[in-house]
Amino acid sequence: MIKNFKSALKSFLAIVMIVLSVLACKEPVPTPEPEPEPEPQPTADCVFDLYVSVGKHGGMSQNKNGTLMRRVLSLEADQPEVQFTGKGVEITSDYTLESIVKGKYYYQVPQNNAKGFVKFHVELNGTNESIVVDKSVPFQKNTFYARKYTHTWLDGGKTLLVVGTDSKHVKAVYTKFDAETLAIKEEGVLDIEPTATHTTLSTAGLAVYRESDNKIFYFYVLKAAEGITDAASSITRIAVINPSTMAIESDKMVQNAVMESLTGTAYGELMQEEHFFDENGDLYVAGVKSADSKEYGVVRRIKKTSIDFDPSYNALVNAEGKILTIQYMGNGKAFAYMRNEELGTATTAISHAYSILDLENCKHSRVQYNGSDLGYCGGRFSQRSVVVGGKVYFGVTEKDYGQNQVFIYDIASGKVTPGVKLQNGLYFDIIRALDK
Amino acid sequence: MRLFKYFTTVLLSLSLCVTLSAQNKVVLSGTVVDNSNQPVFAASVVVKSHSVGTYTDEKGFYKLELAPGKYVVEVSLMGYESQEVELSVKSATKKNFVLQENALFLESAKVVGKSKEMTLREGAYAVNAINVQAMVNTVNNLAHAIDRTTGIRVREEGGVGSDFDLSINGMSGNSIRYFIDGMPLDAKGSNVTLANIPVNTIDRVEVYKGVIPASFGTDALGGAINIVTKKAKRNYTDFSYGYGSFSTHKLSYTGQYGIGKTGFVIRPTFSADYSKNNYLMKGVTYISEDRSEFLTGDCRRFHDKFHSLYGRLELGFENRKWADEFFVSGSYSKIDKDIQTGATQEWVYGMVVRHSQSYNVDARYKKNNLFTEGLGLSVNASHTWDHSAMVDTTYRSYDWSGRYIEGTLSELSRNGGKSIRHYKRPLTMVRTNLSYDINANHSIALNYMLNRTGNQQYDTYNELFVPTNDMVMKHFVNMSYNQSFFAGKMNNAFFVKDYVNHLEVRQTEHSSTTGSQKVEAVSTKNYLGYGVGTRYTIVDPASVKLSYEHAVRLPSSRELLGNGSTVYANFQLKPEISENFNLGFFGTWDMGAGHQLSYEANGFVRLVQNYIKATVTEKEGMMQYQNVSAVNVKGVDGEIRYDWRGKLHFMANASFNDSRDNNRYTPEGMESITYGCRVPNKPWTFANAELSYTFHNVGLPSSRLRISYDYQYIHWFYLTWEAFGSASTKPRIPTQHISNVSLLYSWADGRYNISGECTNLFDALAYDNYKLQKPGRGFFLKFRLFL
Repeated sequence: MIKNFKSALKSFLAIVMIVLSVLACKEPVPTPEPEPEPEPQPTADCVFDLYVSVGKHGGMSQNKNGTLMRRVLSLEADQPEVQFTGKGVEITSDYTLESIVKGKYYYQVPQNNAKGFVKFHVELNGTNESIVVDKSVPFQKNTFYARKYTHTWLDGGKTLLVVGTDSKHVKAVYTKFDAETLAIKEEGVLDIEPTATHTTLSTAGLAVYRESDNKIFYFYVLKAAEGITDAASSITRIAVINPSTMAIESDKMVQNAVMESLTGTAYGELMQEEHFFDENGDLYVAGVKSADSKEYGVVRRIKKTSIDFDPSYNALVNAEGKILTIQYMGNGKAFAYMRNEELGTATTAISHAYSILDLENCKHSRVQYNGSDLGYCGGRFSQRSVVVGGKVYFGVTEKDYGQNQVFIYDIASGKVTPGVKLQNGLYFDIIRALDK
Repeated sequence: MRLFKYFTTVLLSLSLCVTLSAQNKVVLSGTVVDNSNQPVFAASVVVKSHSVGTYTDEKGFYKLELAPGKYVVEVSLMGYESQEVELSVKSATKKNFVLQENALFLESAKVVGKSKEMTLREGAYAVNAINVQAMVNTVNNLAHAIDRTTGIRVREEGGVGSDFDLSINGMSGNSIRYFIDGMPLDAKGSNVTLANIPVNTIDRVEVYKGVIPASFGTDALGGAINIVTKKAKRNYTDFSYGYGSFSTHKLSYTGQYGIGKTGFVIRPTFSADYSKNNYLMKGVTYISEDRSEFLTGDCRRFHDKFHSLYGRLELGFENRKWADEFFVSGSYSKIDKDIQTGATQEWVYGMVVRHSQSYNVDARYKKNNLFTEGLGLSVNASHTWDHSAMVDTTYRSYDWSGRYIEGTLSELSRNGGKSIRHYKRPLTMVRTNLSYDINANHSIALNYMLNRTGNQQYDTYNELFVPTNDMVMKHFVNMSYNQSFFAGKMNNAFFVKDYVNHLEVRQTEHSSTTGSQKVEAVSTKNYLGYGVGTRYTIVDPASVKLSYEHAVRLPSSRELLGNGSTVYANFQLKPEISENFNLGFFGTWDMGAGHQLSYEANGFVRLVQNYIKATVTEKEGMMQYQNVSAVNVKGVDGEIRYDWRGKLHFMANASFNDSRDNNRYTPEGMESITYGCRVPNKPWTFANAELSYTFHNVGLPSSRLRISYDYQYIHWFYLTWEAFGSASTKPRIPTQHISNVSLLYSWADGRYNISGECTNLFDALAYDNYKLQKPGRGFFLKFRLFL
């Protein structure tokens, strides 16, 4: 019996070895080990947070596979390619990539709004990023939901006003947070309501504070019914609000000939920038008009002393399609990300390109590199450009998802140069600039 | 396919040689009964001094093919006196045996027989059999018993009655199919699961790893669990009541009553479970009473009550000329369950409730030697009316303190608003199995199964909801051929399976999430599977098994249609297809003097296309099943068991599986960032150990006192793909060490049993799916009466 057992044991060990060798003979796919990379050297006065998504673009909570963020100190071409595999922070486990950003801080309602309103910052320790929560506060009376609110800064940046609508989209609620402590200073309901023909408020609207005369403009869209998203069935209104009392001083409808809808009606400016002030204090807002069942962008202006759009002004004439983001570069020039309606409107369509808008003569032209137009990109819900230090850093992922790369537009010279490259195989969503 | 052909050719050639060489033999056959004339199953019938032997079947029947001559035949089984007779076998010979029970076998008898579990393990498939009888007095949940088996992980979402997920060798829960006496468990209604089947009704549990016998007649990819209920030869009443922590009560009654020699048998079953599940959640975030700040601390679960009822009455005939078994049964089950969390514990609910109930009627017929010797027919037909309702009628936002504020979204449906959503899922199953024993060594079987599940949805609160009625119908046709050589030393099995999936989609809610608009409203698809398995005993305590299957697993109703609460439907799910390879080595060494050592080691490879994986949608705390286009699973597991005279028992097992994304490129042709990464949110290294000692005749005569300790180890694992973010920032489920102890005292030959169990002895933090916290230390007392 002992002999039998010994032979059995030998056979057993032999088979275990065979099993293990079968497992080992085909070279196992190793868990990707992040390669060490040199510590980044600062070349700008700010830091840049780069967001990419896996499998598809991440904006509008489209991505269920994960969005990754890395912080870099420079976007110049001399930097090593930005790697994401096993590096950085996976944002979407807790947070949304749509966020309010000011100074070095992020402010947002996380994926789960039971976590209240959160203020956090990103710490960079060597090449390792981590999210550090500075403060979070529960909602008390008004509740807001992830991605579905708009904001503006009051009191010289000391107060953060957040505005959203309720789930039935019939009333707009607001809360003022202390920017430092997140203490709730005030909350209430705006005195606006849908009409008999347009029964539903857009999810967030757009709140803009005009410091010159201490007024809040709340642009909101009324839709014919819940779930309707096309501009033709919508009307845009402007409520002018006293920031101290939150009383509505004026509430007017914008004529459809001027603007049917805002560029973004649902998510404020948590990701995509849609308005700016120029040096004169005039306010520019991106919007949408429709023609032949297609949507085309408009850029309308409210003069410093007015509370209404100037119906004769549109900075974006002969638009190829809807405008997605717009940022002011100074000296009457804006940097815009626009769609070419003929090339497709799907979320993943490669139909978007960067253009420079001349706000005085109302002309626009494609951004060029080496004398040729930069190619079209995908990413309908993305904000891959940032204006900082006299330059515009913008991300490009050309047709067929080629190389993820940053380009740099020098505002003074108009020259475009390549910047840092990003790891391929990922969908490039956002570039953000934050204080160090 | 080439490998399958090669494997098949070799085995068929071998079978032909052996068949030809067997033609000059004569048959020795007969029955083995006990002293009350009841058939003895799994008795060993061995021809001494020859390597020839077999085991009796459930009728006590055995058959051996021998060359004409004189032989000494020994018949033995644990618990009976062995018998030896000298026989002269010149032509076909019948010899019956009557075994005498040996009450003292535990103390002194040499164990030569094999249990049903051991017999099963000697088939051609990779299978473990768990003898539940050893645990029935202490364990209050069948899932917990199975969780201690090598290669298996059961992951519960919380306390009593919570949903659970079971994996076998790295394949996740829905890759695993559940059967009760060979019939899919689904047929009993969605309320009947491993978590609430009365343990007292169960004889054993068979765990098939990777390759599933065609006789089950359905699709499975990772394995199957077959619960075998008691088939006692005599009348009995089995009653138990347990009470434990978190206000847990469990009542169970089952019995069997036969009427004389008519063959008429009645089997009633009833069980009721109740628990508040109000265990402490450690280190959770909650809101201060004035709602000014978030605090961190321990909070008791406040909305997790569970109440279930199950009743079944089975009646019919057995051991008649016209039927070995003919039974009809009706059952009713009802569950009321509070829902405490979403798919993660960050989502706290305070008012959501699920009510469900189901009725089932079932008929089964079985006859061996129908019309001619060796022809067997088994038919099951079952229909279940399954109705559940999810009540979600508040706009409240709760936190772990149990307090809430009014919000503007419903707890569960979020943007969907308030609702009382009803799901009616009528389920029809028909299963037939026709088998024919060509001779003692060769048999064939043909199996057909129909599975039709409806999915009617309507809402009695939200008037805007448009009722829908989806339907999934599956047909399975399987053929198998089994052969046995060298007096049972070698077994081979070959099978071919055909799957037809017919889907009708009507629902449009959350269409962008469920993909209902992107699939054909009505579609029918066909898939083919096949496989082969072999087992060879090299020397007595050492056998090797090898099996392969090209397996297809159609998405389950839960994966396709959701669960109505925390799981979204996904109509775009594709079937999983896998090449499954198993290599196993096992044996039992009887060392004498009452020492017995059993061991097994298995290696397995699963090459899976369209691997179905549960993914949490963080923004809503909802879950959805999605395909990962290619996943390779490789692994090993092993187990050692030691027993000394039925007193001292030790078991240890360890499992390692490596499931990795093998898809290099995305559909857009981009390099995939997750290529080569381990599939997240799945335990991949875990181990169990168990030590028990049984004292006999302590205090009362014919009594036993059993003390046992078991330990579980689970290595930490990531919640999301390891390529997403640096290791230090990633959420992970930490390494867990869980200890349980139990004490059992039974007297009057097991008629009266009282047990105490302490689970999670050291009150360790225990997590499961998506870091849902499980109960801390708990106590459970159980009294069982078996007459």
